[in-house]
Amino acid sequence: MGALEESILILLQLQALNKVFDDFCALNDIDFSVNENEIIGLVGPNGAGKTTLFNLISGRIKPSSGKILFEGKDITGLKSHTICRLGISRTFQSSRPFPQMNTLQNVLVGHIFGKGFSFHTRPKDLQTAMELLEVVGIAHKADTPAGHLTLSEQRRLDLARALATRPKLLLLDEVAAGFSPVLVKQAIQLINRVRERGVTLLIIDHFLNLSLKVSDRLLALDHGEKIAEGPPHTVMRNRDVLHAYLGMRYKDEEDD
Amino acid sequence: MNIFIDRMNRTPKVSFYFLPLGLLLLLILPLMVRSNAYILQVFTHALLLATLATAWNLLGISGSISLGHAAFFGVGAYGSALLSLEGGFSPWLTIPSAGIVAAGLGLIMGLVCFRLRGAYFALATLAFVEIPRVITDNLDALTHGSLGLVGLPGLPSLHLGSLHIDIGSNMAASYFLVFAYFVILLGISAFVFRSNLGLALQAIREEEIAAETAGIKTDTFRMLSLLLSAFFTGISGAFYAHLIRYIEPGLVYGLHFSAIPMVFAICGGRFTIVGPALAAMVLYPVDQFVFHPLLPAGHEFLYGVVLILTILFVPTGLWGRLRKAF
Repeated sequence: MGALEESILILLQLQALNKVFDDFCALNDIDFSVNENEIIGLVGPNGAGKTTLFNLISGRIKPSSGKILFEGKDITGLKSHTICRLGISRTFQSSRPFPQMNTLQNVLVGHIFGKGFSFHTRPKDLQTAMELLEVVGIAHKADTPAGHLTLSEQRRLDLARALATRPKLLLLDEVAAGFSPVLVKQAIQLINRVRERGVTLLIIDHFLNLSLKVSDRLLALDHGEKIAEGPPHTVMRNRDVLHAYLGMRYKDEEDD
Repeated sequence: MNIFIDRMNRTPKVSFYFLPLGLLLLLILPLMVRSNAYILQVFTHALLLATLATAWNLLGISGSISLGHAAFFGVGAYGSALLSLEGGFSPWLTIPSAGIVAAGLGLIMGLVCFRLRGAYFALATLAFVEIPRVITDNLDALTHGSLGLVGLPGLPSLHLGSLHIDIGSNMAASYFLVFAYFVILLGISAFVFRSNLGLALQAIREEEIAAETAGIKTDTFRMLSLLLSAFFTGISGAFYAHLIRYIEPGLVYGLHFSAIPMVFAICGGRFTIVGPALAAMVLYPVDQFVFHPLLPAGHEFLYGVVLILTILFVPTGLWGRLRKAF
């Protein structure tokens, strides 16, 4: 009975996922699953393979081997736009707005193309896009070209555009990197608001300023290997994780 | 929501009236010049170049710069010329067919060249022109090779009930036919730019990866814009063939017809609907009436100078500047 219930709840499943660039192994045999309406923090030092994992899930690159299942369906190797239409959306580490379009149009693109295509923009579409700008708190910048927004506003815009595609699973890449404590607090509120909309979240958080507070579980990577998964505070006490973040000496001292 | 209401109620800017005014001027031009054959001929050609620039811009809006549109122009010209000359079909049929042939060539160009981006794409399209040119040049039996085709049928006659206009032998009628094609193409271009198809192409131009991630089938949209662009460039080529009534490979596949639409698009304002056509309607007559008499051999230096000045001082182009100023 338990097994059946679990299989319904699993939204995303990674099976023995491998990615090799030339002779460099970016990800090695990753097995992981994300349940519906969960928030997962993806942590690990530089070069751990976090963004590579995002690129694989969102279809920007293809895995060398292994499978990605979304709602039980094999989506391995599908193109980004197909994966978007199936319900996975993402933001980028350095946000990628359409710089000359205004903020509203940016979100409109996600809304119009995220689930199909309609030739003309209806007033209802504009309204939805505007509401999303309000959700992320940049509605007052609706008429501003996206290229003129601040870094934090661009990240919010990236998020609004991703939400506009009506995703079931949202991949957030370093949403709060470089944020002041106040902005981090706002980001946490924002993430909780997104979760209330019924969206499952996978959050890359290199600096751990976000994921410890919002995540249900953490997945820790180092050098392309999964080194730990579980509740945040268990993972953060894991010796391999401490080693990866703080270096060999810390581990040695523990050994003494 | 205020933003939308503001946008709806905003009184139109002065520049809003420029386009209807310009079209009206063009409409009554034959009356104004009292059907002066030379002036009419120059403006007919200017309109044709304007359609070429507008068609080029249908691909340009997606951010791709093509230096190979002479391929579509030439194939359109030869397609229509051969169909009417050898096949005996009316130009009413052969001109649209030329568009289809050009779009077919566009499909091949897209499959090959869209693997590249930016300057690499531009250079690949530049080389691509050689394929139809060499084929045309060497199919002597059909195309008479580098001798070209002479004695092409002129633009066809129009029968409307009892009304009978021989467009081919009437300078003003030729002018109006090209003008009608120009207006239709401008309308189609406006539809593409204003619809969500234009939004997708703009998104692809500004940030392709984000566009793909937001659900846009970037490959399909890029191909679509190339096919549209090639189709209308082919039709312009066909009009050219029946207007001039003489074509040869070196002429219709020449660098001139690849470069000139790009020059007009950049000078008039890339990514705008009327900019490229405006530049064609201004620069070509200036070139012909002012610089050609002065410098018969090197009058085209004008285009180079204007292009450089535009890039340096008016990066948004003539139309972009006018809209901002008025």
